[in-house]
Amino acid sequence: MSRVLLPVLASALLLAGPAQAADAPPGASSCTGCHATTKIADSVIPRIAGRKAADIVTFMREYRSGAWPSSVMGRIAKGFDDQQTNAIAAWFAAQSE
Amino acid sequence: MTTRRTFLKGAAVLGLTPAIASAQPSAGKVVVIGGGFAGATAARTLKTLEPKLDVTLVEPNAVYTACPFSNSVLANLREISQQEFRYDGLKRAGVTVAATSATAVDATAKTVALADGNRLSYDRLVMSPGIDFNWGALPGYDEAAAQKMPHAWKAGAQTTLLRNQLQAMDDGGLVVMSAPANPYRCPPGPYERASLIAYWMKIWKPKSKLLLLDAKDAFSKQRLFQNGWAELYPGMIEWVPLSKGGKVTSVAPATLTLTTEFGSHKAAVANVIPPQRAGAIAGQAGVADRTGWCPVEPVAFESTLRPGIHVLGDAAIMGGMPKSAFAANAQAKVCAAAIVELLAGRKPQDPILINTCYSLLAADYGISVAGVYRPDKGQLTDVPGAGGVSALEAVGGLRGQEALYAASWFRTITAETFG
Repeated sequence: MSRVLLPVLASALLLAGPAQAADAPPGASSCTGCHATTKIADSVIPRIAGRKAADIVTFMREYRSGAWPSSVMGRIAKGFDDQQTNAIAAWFAAQSE
Repeated sequence: MTTRRTFLKGAAVLGLTPAIASAQPSAGKVVVIGGGFAGATAARTLKTLEPKLDVTLVEPNAVYTACPFSNSVLANLREISQQEFRYDGLKRAGVTVAATSATAVDATAKTVALADGNRLSYDRLVMSPGIDFNWGALPGYDEAAAQKMPHAWKAGAQTTLLRNQLQAMDDGGLVVMSAPANPYRCPPGPYERASLIAYWMKIWKPKSKLLLLDAKDAFSKQRLFQNGWAELYPGMIEWVPLSKGGKVTSVAPATLTLTTEFGSHKAAVANVIPPQRAGAIAGQAGVADRTGWCPVEPVAFESTLRPGIHVLGDAAIMGGMPKSAFAANAQAKVCAAAIVELLAGRKPQDPILINTCYSLLAADYGISVAGVYRPDKGQLTDVPGAGGVSALEAVGGLRGQEALYAASWFRTITAETFG
């Protein structure tokens, strides 16, 4: 990820200054309503920060198609297309675990 | 916060950290009125995304008592203390907490008058005042009546009062609830409450019954609730819809009587969930319309009535998004990012938001509704094909799994909100 991220950061710094509030892609900030940004004791819901982007994309795609069973994620994954899912996955993957 | 950390890490590699870390003038002033799920999230997220912002949260209560899971307090599954959260996490994040009420908003001068006599100026104002009750809308029901017939729709002393009344009730006593017409805070809440009171009665007051008088003919997660009631509590819960005379037209607190168009019901314990509107300060600020709620645009949730004021959470009209804690938290994160962009002279991107809302029918029996929303024709609209409720046929321990997810969600959302 870092090879992809650094040029993005560098250009962001040069063009727009340090406040990059909107760099979270659409939808990403809602994920942390369940998938915590910090470690939560006794949570059965996995954190996704720092997971491999390809793994997050796979989970979302399989939940969306129904190939993998889920309680709620299938209903949510259906709201995101491939491009949106890829952007969200890359954003979480770039974060520290 | 991770955004910034990731950014700083990248910046450090580039050797640019000193330029970022050096002191810089304020990036603007944001005042947030109301420290619930929306307001606390907005304040903390603003400060995290842009540390150079001056962010002040106006909230008179030192302790916030969360409504989600407060129905479990009624059923003795939790203590009210487990619902309580403080603002230390916000203070640690650099938010200034003004422990007083906002008494007036001047949208032209961009100032907020406070009950302690101070006045705050702002570049952007976030209003998340939650709900107030329409005391005049249900004859006989006022603040004094709520001491006899608790609403318990703002968690805290009212929750404890209703729990104590239930515990003091004779076995065989009739519990009567009344649910309002839409819109109101937490659409599935009355039905979760009926379920968990039945759960508790089945153990402690097995001869008792619950009558749920409703001002509408359909409700959130209806088939899941009704299937669950038939399975778990046969004969214990009677739901009376609007078309069968369910709308309560007046109440008499002295005799615990609820009157509908079709007759009167005398309760051993009465729980009246009254009609609601946005918190009173919204009306004073001019951001509430004739419905009592606050219209907003769907990108930054800026009031369509008063520019420069953003309205979040239960007080706002959010298109297809329900009035839930999850929705309030999600809206606040989107709004905070949008405000940082607006103050920097940039245009916020079109957001996507998610809502997920769990309800319990028993300690180990959970159901959910979810939705994905995006701006369309000026309001937040359901993304077609996404969202919906839990499967009607529960296989593989699904209800127990969702009860576990519900508990984990509560721990997460409160940590995300209050830090």
